[in-house]
Amino acid sequence: MSIYITGVGVISAIGLNVEENYQSLRNKKTGIEPINYFPSTKNILVGEVKLSSDDLIAQLNVTAPISRTSLLGLAAAKEAWEGNQHDASIRTGIISSTSVGGMDNSEQYYKQRLESDTPDISLITTHDSGTTTERIATALGISGYINTLSTACSSGANAIMLGARLIEQNRLDRVLVGGSDSFTNFTEEGFRSLMIYSDDWVKPFDENRNGLNLGEGGGFILLENEKSLNITNNKKLAALGGWANTADAYHQTASSPDGKGATLAISNALKIGNINPSEVSYVNAHGTGTPNNDLSESVALKNVFKEKVPPFSSTKSYTGHTLAASGAIEAVYSVLALQHNVIFPNLNYSTPITDTELVPEVNLNESHEVNVVLSNSFGFGGNNSTVIFKKA
Amino acid sequence: MENLKRELKEQIIERLNLEDVNVEDIADDMPLFGGGLGLDSIDALELIVLLENDYGIELTNPEEGKEIFQTVNSMSDFISRNRK
Amino acid sequence: MSYISSYCHISSTIYSVNGQVANTFESGTLDEIISELYTSLDIKYSKFHKMDQLSKIGFIGTELIKRDFPAIDNYGENDIAVLFANRRSSATTDINFLDSYQDGGIPSPSLFVYTLPNIVIGEISIRNKWFGENMFTISNHFDANYFANYCDILLQKSSEAALCGWVNVDDNKIEAFFFFITKKDIKQLNLQLNSEKLTEIYRAI
Repeated sequence: MSIYITGVGVISAIGLNVEENYQSLRNKKTGIEPINYFPSTKNILVGEVKLSSDDLIAQLNVTAPISRTSLLGLAAAKEAWEGNQHDASIRTGIISSTSVGGMDNSEQYYKQRLESDTPDISLITTHDSGTTTERIATALGISGYINTLSTACSSGANAIMLGARLIEQNRLDRVLVGGSDSFTNFTEEGFRSLMIYSDDWVKPFDENRNGLNLGEGGGFILLENEKSLNITNNKKLAALGGWANTADAYHQTASSPDGKGATLAISNALKIGNINPSEVSYVNAHGTGTPNNDLSESVALKNVFKEKVPPFSSTKSYTGHTLAASGAIEAVYSVLALQHNVIFPNLNYSTPITDTELVPEVNLNESHEVNVVLSNSFGFGGNNSTVIFKKA
Repeated sequence: MENLKRELKEQIIERLNLEDVNVEDIADDMPLFGGGLGLDSIDALELIVLLENDYGIELTNPEEGKEIFQTVNSMSDFISRNRK
Repeated sequence: MSYISSYCHISSTIYSVNGQVANTFESGTLDEIISELYTSLDIKYSKFHKMDQLSKIGFIGTELIKRDFPAIDNYGENDIAVLFANRRSSATTDINFLDSYQDGGIPSPSLFVYTLPNIVIGEISIRNKWFGENMFTISNHFDANYFANYCDILLQKSSEAALCGWVNVDDNKIEAFFFFITKKDIKQLNLQLNSEKLTEIYRAI
């Protein structure tokens, strides 16, 4: 059975909608800049969405308190859902994912509590990860099936996978899937404590890479089966080609040196989708820019594709690492690659990793038909996912 | 120096939650990582926090830790040379 | 069709396997109860002491299921899916991590590691060398329907068995329920998996 992608929505450091993101990717325009919107005393590089939460609230016409994670999710979900109607005969659901939930509001609450006797207690009501999805679902009027998942940086990819399965098993006809995460002090302190936050612009797959830049954003895609399509008449943008999730079973945060979990995820997804490795036109890599991830992922790519690794790049050099949103944002970029037959360049790369010698795509490549795009998302906890997109 | 070594062993056990280990179990020249005490990369990062918190020594590159954290001997050498 | 082949409950006062009370706890802090449970397992796993409470309870629940169902060892390394859920993600550890750097302190890497709920699954995968699929979801209540549906989906295609857990450790309280789903009724407990049966067992203790 075929599962189609009929809507895409994204908000990130490189744009407030799909078109803006596409233009930035084409023009090698990174969104990672010195911190500006988030109240911080530090001077760090972040992939911030270039709108304040107050502006987002006004634009999306919702009421505070609402977490920035919900706002970013809603912005992307709204774009992906746009034009769709509710119809009792289409079983519709929403699956969202987040790793920080409403932590941005909780941080404000804690600060207020320390500084004053009358902190705004309503801020804490947005903390729970589940409320992130509830707010998005309420705003769009989706009530049939609502789920929130949290598997670190593979969350967005896992939301797509869960949605695909619910359609495949004929439990839903149409499902909006994705994820969002906002930048917080909490995450910055955390990645700094692991000493993998780079003070320089992230250099995915470069020998001299020295860590990641955090980003924030939201991504959503709308999945539909034939039955739903017959009613909605939505345009098919792309189709799902395969998906898989595996455990790396190596370390809480580090990827295994032999890339076992990642290798299994990529090869299982190809197997499930009945796709030959040689058919893959482009790999949108996880490519966080940490010494550990990029080496392990390179090893995994070589394990699966041998000498013929397809053109690949990490778009985290534009957006920063958007954590739970990344799999969903990169799903939108994968669909764009299929729609426009383009391979997006990897920024800030100059020297291949000595052990693997893989060279990412560094220029906008429009010379080939793009038929199959494979997107990797690997999370802490050794949670590894691969989703494959193909032309509809 | 002997006092510092003993203090370090106590701190390592406490900070890294090594419940099954006593101070006597850690020899001065025993490798802390790999075999020996079997610490891992997160433990190494926690030792960097220990250096900063308790001895005022700041490491900015986790790679530096590899040399310093080889054994209790190498740690105490480094601390006595650099402590503030 | 799939079956519940083993299950266990852990709370702050009692733990039981397949509905049979295995031990009760007089009183004590969560750490004391967890330590008592770990000691009763009689295993040596030094990494256990480094885990946060959520991971510790997930680890112990898994060990209890393994003991009750030793045939679990016969599954291949990619066969077992791990499906966990809870109410409040990693909230307790989140606060501990926040405390480590508030007021100018240095953020603790070993606490940050556990500020994601799915790390408990990572710990279980590492311990057992399970490379199968895993998922962590957040919901306000035990969602029997979700577990039953998702196990159905997993066992139809990609997995041979599923270890599921509803794992809550917060407000000084443990509320955990683990169950192991297989394709055949190997132990003849006669518990066919559906959301009614699951709800019934969940509430039984």
